[in-house]
Amino acid sequence: MIFTIEIKSIEKVYSGGKIAVNKISAEMNERVTTLIGRNGAGKTTLLRMLSTQLLPTSGTAVVEGYDIIKDTKKVREMISSIPQEASPIGILTPYEQVKMYLVGRKFDRKDASSLAIEALETVGLGDAMNSPADTLSGGMKRKMFVALSIASGANMVFLDEPTTGLDPLSRFEVWSAIKKLKSNVLLTTHYMEEAENLSNEVYLMDSGKIMDHGTVKSLLQKFKDRIRIESQKQIPDSYSVAGMYIKYAPIEETERYIREGATVKRITLDDLFIMRGVDLES
Amino acid sequence: MNPKFILQFSYYYGIKVITRGPSYIIASLVTPLTLLFVVYILTAGKLVEFAIVGGMISLIASIGLQSAGDASFFRLQLRIQELYVASDVTPIDYMLAMTLSFLAFSIPGIVVYSLLGAYYGLYSLQTSAFMAFLIVMLIISTSAIAFIISGLIKHIRNIWGITSILSIIMTIIPPTFYPYVDLQGRLGTDGLIYLLSLSPATPAAISAQMVFGLMPWDNSMFGTMMAFLIGETIIYFAIAKFLTRWREV
Repeated sequence: MIFTIEIKSIEKVYSGGKIAVNKISAEMNERVTTLIGRNGAGKTTLLRMLSTQLLPTSGTAVVEGYDIIKDTKKVREMISSIPQEASPIGILTPYEQVKMYLVGRKFDRKDASSLAIEALETVGLGDAMNSPADTLSGGMKRKMFVALSIASGANMVFLDEPTTGLDPLSRFEVWSAIKKLKSNVLLTTHYMEEAENLSNEVYLMDSGKIMDHGTVKSLLQKFKDRIRIESQKQIPDSYSVAGMYIKYAPIEETERYIREGATVKRITLDDLFIMRGVDLES
Repeated sequence: MNPKFILQFSYYYGIKVITRGPSYIIASLVTPLTLLFVVYILTAGKLVEFAIVGGMISLIASIGLQSAGDASFFRLQLRIQELYVASDVTPIDYMLAMTLSFLAFSIPGIVVYSLLGAYYGLYSLQTSAFMAFLIVMLIISTSAIAFIISGLIKHIRNIWGITSILSIIMTIIPPTFYPYVDLQGRLGTDGLIYLLSLSPATPAAISAQMVFGLMPWDNSMFGTMMAFLIGETIIYFAIAKFLTRWREV
């Protein structure tokens, strides 16, 4: 079986000895896959190695059928990668930047022009495509990069924390733009909501390793029919996490905890990390 | 190589930005024009022709070196370089596109110095062609130096200081605004000339002084300077390609 991404014991050790990615192996074949983890978990390093920007210390990976070390040129023809916190050239317009990128990808100038306009309209930047990028909001700037990937028609798109630092409304706008991508997507995020909203499959990363993976539904299976109770006051059989008492209780007990003044929340991917934190502490 | 990309990039980032950010062009013209004025006053106009020919060389070399700021900004701050790494753009396409942008961006300065040169009757077909050759070699070699620097620095803040220092050392100290023979007899016969020739502006200025008839023709010196200029351009470009950090390790 040919996988979209096949990672073979890939490792990155930075000078100074820090192991950023610790011999990870994985086979990814979903349309949208998300790497989720806290800052420093190794998500960006893994994504940069897969998108041929960073050389692994050992191991390799196959992206869209090509080896990232042996067939770098082929891989680069198949992918589009938007770096973390990438920012457009302020003095140029989104139209100019998307067109320039497409011409760089060997599109004919005429095709590049029409594809740039089409992609910018798709992500809702039709009215702003001829304004200097300096005048765009943070969300619009990120959407410009998504437009760039849409227009490129790349088989595989890598998005490194595409909504970090954006306000909630801008995040929704960028999510909507990402959903318009027809390519396979690998994105990193530390927003659980983002992973839930966009992904077919989620990989949980911590300390350079993959801790767990699956669909959002399967990962949350262990919390089935449960709710999260949070309280400043101690609750019997609860965990203490960062000064807060947390307990996972059956859904039937919701009313009782509300009466007692606790906060009741639905289960999200956050809880996998909270539980992992608890495991580590214990 | 992807010439369409190189031309498209330089049209947008070299030509279109001239009207959108004219202050940068004025800033790049200020130093050579100020030095031209100082040379004119201090020598009662005697060395003004040196300063016009050298001013053009100084301007191009200075713009090339200061492009390190843009190259670093694109790599470290905007992360635009990474965007192009993960595509079919090669490091040579990217460097040539940036270099041609800076050349396009120098057009207003080239026009100013060409008009001054024409006013003083310095330009013939032969000298114009030679100056065009020097401009191309200078923009490639100094942009390559800029890429080497931008590939080495880790913090964007350092680049502004480094380029200012290099710009002075590599474009004003060389014999751009004075006769090159003033350097002879220091550090041996031509030792200081060879030392300063690490900057492409030095061989460019010395050969121009001979071609423009400002200094007597010296076959040996002209040949040596051409070898320096062409050799440096190739070597600096090769090192820059290696250090551009197209794939980090």
